[in-house]
Amino acid sequence: MTAEAMLTSPPVAVAPPQQRLPTPQMRATLRIQQRILMTVRQLLHTDGFVELLPPTIGPVTDPGSRGAKQVDIDYYGHRYKLMTSGILYKQASLLAFDKIFNIAPNVRLEPLETATTHRHLAEFHQIDVEFAGASRDDVMRVAERLISGAAAAVCEHQSADLEVLGRNPADLKAVAGGGFGRMAHRDAVAELQSLGHEQSSAAELDWVGEELLSRRHQQAFFVTDYPKGSRGFYDRESRTQPGVLRNFDLILPDGYGEVISGSEREHDYRRLIMRMRETAENPAKYRWYLDVAKEGLPASAGFGIGLERLTRYLAGHAAVWQASAFPKIPGVVSP
Amino acid sequence: MTSLAAPGFDEARVRERARLGAGAVFPHPDGYGNTVFGQDPTAPAGDEIDELRLVPPVFVPGRLTRLFELGEEPMPGDVLLDTAVGGFAAPYPLYVSAFGSTDVSASGLAAALSRQAGVLGIPMVIGENLVPTAGLGRLGERTRGALLGRIEAYLSGAGAHGGVVVQQSTQDADAEVWNVVYSDPTATALLDQGRLAFELKVGQGAKPGLGGQTLLRREQAAGLADRFTLAELYEPGTDAVLRCATPGTFTEEILAQQIRLMRNNYPRCRIWVKLPPGRDISRATEICWGAGADAVTVDGAEGGTGWAPAAFLQHVGLPLAECLARVDPRDRDLLVSGRILDGARAAKCLALGARAVGLGRAALIAVDEDPRHGLVRLIEAMALELRLIASALGKYDIADLDRDDLWSPRTRRTVAGPARQHEGASPSMESMEAGR
Repeated sequence: MTAEAMLTSPPVAVAPPQQRLPTPQMRATLRIQQRILMTVRQLLHTDGFVELLPPTIGPVTDPGSRGAKQVDIDYYGHRYKLMTSGILYKQASLLAFDKIFNIAPNVRLEPLETATTHRHLAEFHQIDVEFAGASRDDVMRVAERLISGAAAAVCEHQSADLEVLGRNPADLKAVAGGGFGRMAHRDAVAELQSLGHEQSSAAELDWVGEELLSRRHQQAFFVTDYPKGSRGFYDRESRTQPGVLRNFDLILPDGYGEVISGSEREHDYRRLIMRMRETAENPAKYRWYLDVAKEGLPASAGFGIGLERLTRYLAGHAAVWQASAFPKIPGVVSP
Repeated sequence: MTSLAAPGFDEARVRERARLGAGAVFPHPDGYGNTVFGQDPTAPAGDEIDELRLVPPVFVPGRLTRLFELGEEPMPGDVLLDTAVGGFAAPYPLYVSAFGSTDVSASGLAAALSRQAGVLGIPMVIGENLVPTAGLGRLGERTRGALLGRIEAYLSGAGAHGGVVVQQSTQDADAEVWNVVYSDPTATALLDQGRLAFELKVGQGAKPGLGGQTLLRREQAAGLADRFTLAELYEPGTDAVLRCATPGTFTEEILAQQIRLMRNNYPRCRIWVKLPPGRDISRATEICWGAGADAVTVDGAEGGTGWAPAAFLQHVGLPLAECLARVDPRDRDLLVSGRILDGARAAKCLALGARAVGLGRAALIAVDEDPRHGLVRLIEAMALELRLIASALGKYDIADLDRDDLWSPRTRRTVAGPARQHEGASPSMESMEAGR
């Protein structure tokens, strides 16, 4: 099936929990997920990162991009948001420790078209990492260690589960071994355009394009240097190349697509306000965050790993919803 | 008919057109045979656009071309009015512009207007302030005036042309209007047909430098106090509070980046930008088009339907004629509005470079006059006038109107175009957009 055809296939009906949770496949998947969490926690703790519990609601959250709607809740008469990501809290948490991480639930009411990308859930979890004083290269190295470490641990300890799922550990060998590739966004665009795919050089890689690239690689690879106008205000703009962001995504091979987004962060008060305006935000709603920034947010870099996406990849599932016990496919009413 | 009023606007003429349709294009039939007709020397002079005269030539090579195609003398009915308006196919070079969050826009009029615009297949812009005051129309708050209800009403018109344009301003970013629409099942049909656009509203339409100003009842205002500045203007006992929105802070870079982010976030939508009639309008339009906007809409300072201080209504902003003199759209979509209510003013704006013209107050009054057919009749009248005018000018595609068709009594010459001072002014941005 072509990537274009996959993207237009209708979403699959998900069996109810009483049928789905007891199956060997679901149980194997959840054990793999458990192994990922254990491994990541261990690696991060060894590296000096402190795990903090993430807030789930706040007066403001990550504005994100690509048209996902935030969930509003009534907080004693005030409009609060469920976290779409904990980015603002991650930066602020560096006031306590230089290296922090969260295992954070996020909710994003994604556009209905994402119900068929195989990569989107309206509710999902991120392994969120933030590192004060770090460069993009520093956190890309951490990201690679976590992904390859999780793959290696799953291959070593969960071989029976992989067998239940029909996932050949040999297919995970390259990722487990590390040595991820790297290409700039402009090169990714050029590669897609050479394949006849219409990809704007000024925008995020579109769903089809991302999957096309992923299918052409057998090793995970970073895409760096996304153009301004494709990401949130907190991705730091290069001082030497205006218009280019000091950020990255990690794309898994074999069609599984993006699993990580990260960047160096804007932290200077005035630059944050400028970037908020450039991303059509009203700075007034970010008051608490800007108040912190005014007094000094540490420079940092960080990233978030999509836990269900990583689980899907290691388990070899066709769609990310199979990596969740209670999946929320965008637009689908489900428990 | 309701109590809707529009002082200073030729309301009676719009109401007549809403009742009579194309019949209102000519003098009343009772006068035929017993009255002689000519220009009315007592008619008010109007603005600079009204002063311009449309000047047909004696020699009409364009008519000869059409004669070859048809094999018979072309008639006004042979003029093509179909126009691509901001990425939508429309049967006329017309669209319905947004009106502010006055009670007018939240009333049943809005639904009637939406339905008729849908029937006509002309693009319709839904104003930015609708959500904070009238709600989205989701989760039980579905009223006919709310945003999603207006989209449904437009779709119920069952036309295959046109599209819906949803505005958002700086202050609306809090309400995530675009995100809601983009992910709501109501909009799926529009998205699938490529008939949804989002319009970035820079400042406050016809009133440059102001944000949206809305008069609210105290009860309504209480719920908005955490997001908007509220001002007490009246006696303490009065049940009216002024809600003031911000026009938003823009620089060239902020505007360009906002447009690019819109294209990134909503790849299935067309992107429109609404600019106020500011003195740097020429540069601002170039920034918009350079960043990839499908259309730029400009309100002349004489336009506008919303509540605003009298000083701004009377004294602030460039008139539409000056905006059109300053902006050079070349082959890009410039959409304008400002006291458009007949085919003559519309034709002049098109000749001055606009791709299409927007009806604001005229559309509202027409629907107020007849909620079932008022707008359809008004547009029929305008379409007939546009065909008569274009045909007289020897042109059979409305897009062919240009400045040669206009004569200014001030200069006693054909109207001059804007100096092309910005040609290639933003090559870097345009070349970055080449991948689209």
